[in-house]
Amino acid sequence: MSRAIPLSYTLRSVFQRRTRTALTVAVMALVVLAVTVMLSLVSGIRRTLVETGEADNLIVMRKGATNDGSSMVPIEAYRAVRYFPGIAADPVTGEPLVSPEMVVQPFFYRQDGGRENVLVRGVRPVAFAVHRKVRLVEGRAPRSSSGEAVVGRAVAARYPGLRIGAEMRFGRRAWKVVGILEAGGSSFESEVWVDVNDLWSDANRALYSGLRLTVAADADAAALARRVAADARWALEAKPEIEYYREQADSANFLFSLTVALGVIMGIGASFGAMNTMFAAVRSRVAEIGTLRALGFSRRSILASFLAEALVIALAGCVVGVVLAVGATLAINAALLGVAINLMTFTTATVQLRVSAGNALFALCFSVLLGFAGGFLPASRAARLSPAEALRRRA
Amino acid sequence: MIHLSNVSRHFRRGPDVIKALDRVTLEIQAGRFVALMGPSGSGKSTLLNILSGIDRADEGEVEVAGQRLTGLSEDELAVWRARHVGLVFQFYNLMPVLSACENVELPLLLTDLSRPERRRRAELALEVVGLMRERFEHLPGALSGGEQQRVAIARAIVTDPDLIVADEPTGDLDARSADQVLALLSELNREFEKTIVLVTHDPRALRWVQAIYHLDKGSLLEGVEATRATQAVEQTLGVPPRSAAR
Ligand SMILES: Nc1ncnc2c1ncn2[C@@H]1O[C@H](COP(=O)(O)OP(=O)(O)OP(=O)(O)O)[C@@H](O)[C@H]1O
Ligand SMILES: [Mg+2]
Repeated sequence: MSRAIPLSYTLRSVFQRRTRTALTVAVMALVVLAVTVMLSLVSGIRRTLVETGEADNLIVMRKGATNDGSSMVPIEAYRAVRYFPGIAADPVTGEPLVSPEMVVQPFFYRQDGGRENVLVRGVRPVAFAVHRKVRLVEGRAPRSSSGEAVVGRAVAARYPGLRIGAEMRFGRRAWKVVGILEAGGSSFESEVWVDVNDLWSDANRALYSGLRLTVAADADAAALARRVAADARWALEAKPEIEYYREQADSANFLFSLTVALGVIMGIGASFGAMNTMFAAVRSRVAEIGTLRALGFSRRSILASFLAEALVIALAGCVVGVVLAVGATLAINAALLGVAINLMTFTTATVQLRVSAGNALFALCFSVLLGFAGGFLPASRAARLSPAEALRRRA
Repeated sequence: MIHLSNVSRHFRRGPDVIKALDRVTLEIQAGRFVALMGPSGSGKSTLLNILSGIDRADEGEVEVAGQRLTGLSEDELAVWRARHVGLVFQFYNLMPVLSACENVELPLLLTDLSRPERRRRAELALEVVGLMRERFEHLPGALSGGEQQRVAIARAIVTDPDLIVADEPTGDLDARSADQVLALLSELNREFEKTIVLVTHDPRALRWVQAIYHLDKGSLLEGVEATRATQAVEQTLGVPPRSAAR
């Protein structure tokens, strides 16, 4: 016969020590807030990268290149690959959907005086057909050899001067903004697109960094990739765009480890706080514990009751923390479209934060862990008290 | 009802060993209302704890309500306490966050009774001890000392135990409330045939109890010594209580 001490006793005891409980809940909430915002950034990065790729696109790079910034593809290779079998054709022009692209990473100077690398992609008009998520929300595409540029929505948000008609400087010349592009929150929104010819003349060399191509609906992407890799004239390789962007998620993995490490450190601090609170609760209720034991409640039910108290505090911290995190991420997204971070190839991209159900679940498990960590020692001390001993102390 | 033979209990305090109880042998028949008296530190609470199964003897045999307590495990002892003993303390020991009625219900949570049945019995117990109905939902903090002790007595009788032990139940009460509590215990003894062991310093208890046991330095006084101790208590009682006020 081991019956539980009623939950109402637990809950009311928690709320009896209002100030102390509130402080502990606040500490828990701050830790949950920090961890949850970080996690929403991690999943934001993953989402941004995953959404950047098209399921039926391949990326062609030099063999061994880890990103298109460090890759080179000669013009002849582009011309040859265009006519490989299995590539989709543009429904309007009938041209193969192969987008040759050159990327550079010039410095952009922010208003606050700081500088950062922004990815500039030199493209041909076919790029807008290959990257189907990319849409011009304002203005038009850059004309050939005109020094025109379209900027991603996130870049435009970070550089308030970059409106249509504005001038910007990078490389050796000035560029005129003629459009704003959007790409479903993906990393293209953190890029500037210009005509590849302009970029060639500015950089003083004529080659591509990589190719993006769309595989025809009835074709075998793997076979096409093998065909690219097998061509002995150029050491190229092709892989699905999705896979390429997934590999770029290194920064997310690092950030995730960092978050876990930070969460562990802050969590230890917070659980010590909770432990303190619970020890104080046990100390001030020794006579109550003795009475409960004398009435016939078991050690286990005392343990459970005090653990439950710690968990109630932790769960309250979890709820407050997650709510704050949702508010914080919404505010950050509204103000800055997200968080600017170095996503890949050292260029800066804007990542949207969103507290997902997974993040909230993580926060919940994390809080339960903190509650147990903080509550276990005090609860077992309470359970170890002998009733005769405990009753000697006045309520 | 209660058989103690050669019961000893030692406590270690630093290098010293305190003999809180030293070979106490004691028989209390069922249905008796007895008092345990003695100076502070004489072992009264220790003895009460042992015969109610809250504490264990280091030596000797303890049998209460037909159960040999010395052989029971801690969990078994807890179950036995819940069934057979009602406890009353000097400082009431009510749960401050539970209402009067919830406090009385608490020991019933260890039974298989349904929720409404628990509630019904708790209210009945509160009626028996004479707590006013409008006080049933009050927290202990909102009740007077006398009322709190009534609630505590209701909690002690709600499981219908054979034995009630009370450790200085009037120690923290004014004279009027103390009398009421003693009268109530006596009534429980007479009408419900509860065996009651009362620890007290209060000579007025003499008016209610059927026997007094005296403890001194862990030993039970016997024979002439016991008679003399009882007479001493009677003498203090002989002084008219109100003469001082006049
Ligand atoms: N848990 C304990 N640890 C150490 N010593 C104890 C413990 N319990 C009781 N004692 C000691 O045993 C002796 C008897 O204590 P007990 O509480 O039984 O006395 P008492 O007669 O109830 O006194 P009072 O009238 O003050 O309540 C005392 O000297 C006390 O200090
Ligand atoms: Mg005592």
